[in-house]
Amino acid sequence: MSGESLIRVSGLTREYRMGAETVHALRGVDMEIRRNEYLAIMGPSGSGKSTLMNLIGCLDSPTCGEYWLNGVEVSQMQDDELARVRNREIGFVFQTFNLLPRASALHNVELPLIYAGMSGRERRQHAARALERVGLADRMAHKPNELSGGQRQRVAIARALVNDPSILLADEPTGNLDSSTSAEIMAVFEELYRQGQTVVMVTHEADIASHARRVVTLLDGVVNSDTVREAA
Amino acid sequence: MPLFEGLRLAFREIAAHKLRSFFTLLGIIVSVAFLVAVVAIIQGMNAYVSENLAGAIVGRNAFQVRRIPISVGLFDDEEWRELQRRPVIQAEEVAFVQRAIPDALAVSLQSGWPTPQADVSWRNQTVGDVLVFGVTPPFQIVQDYVMAAGEGLSDVDVRERRRVAILGYDVAEKLFDDFDAAVGRRIRVGRTQVEVKGIVEAKGTVLGQSWDGFVMLPITLFEAMYGRRQTTTISVKMARADQVAGAMLRAEEAMRVARRLRPGEPNDFTVDTAEGLITFWENLTRVIFAVVPAVVAIGVIVGGIVIMNIMLMSVTERTFEIGIRKSVGAKRGDIQRQFLAESIVLATTGGILGILTGWALAQLVAVVSPMPARVTLWSITLALALGAGVGVLFGVYPARRAARLDPIIALRNE
Repeated sequence: MSGESLIRVSGLTREYRMGAETVHALRGVDMEIRRNEYLAIMGPSGSGKSTLMNLIGCLDSPTCGEYWLNGVEVSQMQDDELARVRNREIGFVFQTFNLLPRASALHNVELPLIYAGMSGRERRQHAARALERVGLADRMAHKPNELSGGQRQRVAIARALVNDPSILLADEPTGNLDSSTSAEIMAVFEELYRQGQTVVMVTHEADIASHARRVVTLLDGVVNSDTVREAA
Repeated sequence: MPLFEGLRLAFREIAAHKLRSFFTLLGIIVSVAFLVAVVAIIQGMNAYVSENLAGAIVGRNAFQVRRIPISVGLFDDEEWRELQRRPVIQAEEVAFVQRAIPDALAVSLQSGWPTPQADVSWRNQTVGDVLVFGVTPPFQIVQDYVMAAGEGLSDVDVRERRRVAILGYDVAEKLFDDFDAAVGRRIRVGRTQVEVKGIVEAKGTVLGQSWDGFVMLPITLFEAMYGRRQTTTISVKMARADQVAGAMLRAEEAMRVARRLRPGEPNDFTVDTAEGLITFWENLTRVIFAVVPAVVAIGVIVGGIVIMNIMLMSVTERTFEIGIRKSVGAKRGDIQRQFLAESIVLATTGGILGILTGWALAQLVAVVSPMPARVTLWSITLALALGAGVGVLFGVYPARRAARLDPIIALRNE
């Protein structure tokens, strides 16, 4: 459990205005994530875990509090700077895969590299290598609707990895998959973790969370427990 | 995102919705096609008027001394009354002009337009409503007439008022099978018996009108039959086009001398080339050219609004896609460029389709009518610029809407 600090959040608060009401999704979260950790964030629905995920993933900005990523304060950043951070530092895996339906697996994986400004040939090489890493070398030309759920999620993982992100964020990555496919995907995460990738995963399923080395539970917008355990 | 990537995406998006794209572009296509076709047809008519019509009426490298200018139709009442008071051109005035322009190839006197018509018959064959001209022999040089049979009119024919006639090709063809045998035959022009002296080679058609349906008589015989015409005209033909302007000045001077006009007194005649006719025509087309862009502009604006609507619809439909792109690091500018590229490519495609349609229309008109069609570079350039301009103008708003979408909200929109 060694490694330098990668993420540090303190007093992280996020409020939404729903008409006249104010919803307090996060009420001051303090947490630190080090390089090469495998962390699961758990909690019942409404506990704020997705909000925390969006903030860590730079899809959203906190109402107040600080968020440091790789020694840079992200919480004060504007739209385009956040886009840059998402592009360079973060790899996202969603429950619903979120692939472009009309584009091939290869093009989907290329997408972050396009916005990174990489040239076409280099881009395709990187994307192909990322697909090979998740075992889809023979499916590069397939469109998402020609792939199984597990294969789609692996395309999404390849896309998340293609930019060599500091952190891989997975939001309920097995939520739409059957149990055997889920096991397959969890094996992929396990392998990535072993290769040194930092993985943060949001889930409400205890057996999925049990793959992680550290489990943080949220309740009503604050950290409720933080347990580190030895390898499963 | 690099430009190339944006264009590639735009083409793929348009190709994915071919029918929708086509209907989106219909307004642009129709407007641009209209622009290109109308300009091509008018340019064709312009070329036609200056190359064929003017030459056919006045003759190549030729000008006329006339009572009334050629460009009729745009006079006000006052001018018209002044023109009506002008004296008729006299046979004696030909000599004045001739002396003033010794280098002229030919100086002729002819009865002019409009001209009487008569039935021409031989034995039991009759050709109705044939144009009858009275001319002096040099007119045959002015008009570059080539004889298909027999010979042309001579000075003696005019001086002695001989009852001879030169037939236009169409008239001769309807009356006689053998042109050489026709020479010397006695035909009737109206009630007057004349002898066929020659037949003029075909001149072809201009504006769908044959120029070979005439009978040409010595002007003396013509005036005995119909009297002196108000439209009597002197024609002067020069060897080269660059001699025409100088010769016109000398003709004007000679006419003033002949008419004994004092300095300061206005001309009571007109020295005119087919330029007058061309100018008249160009004035007409200038009006059309002023109206066409206005009509096209309205069409293009409507077409642009349609594009904007479809692009807004497309942004809404693709909210999820925008969310994905933003989540992997697309900046506002990236999304904005993508949608802007799409609307520009869309509108420019419309412009190109419009150019092709307009070109096809113009060719169709050229095939079914005697008018040529000249598709001009400037109308194509304008059409493309309009297309791209509309794409930018009406693409900015939808593109900005797309760029400002919040990624979290957009991703919820699957």
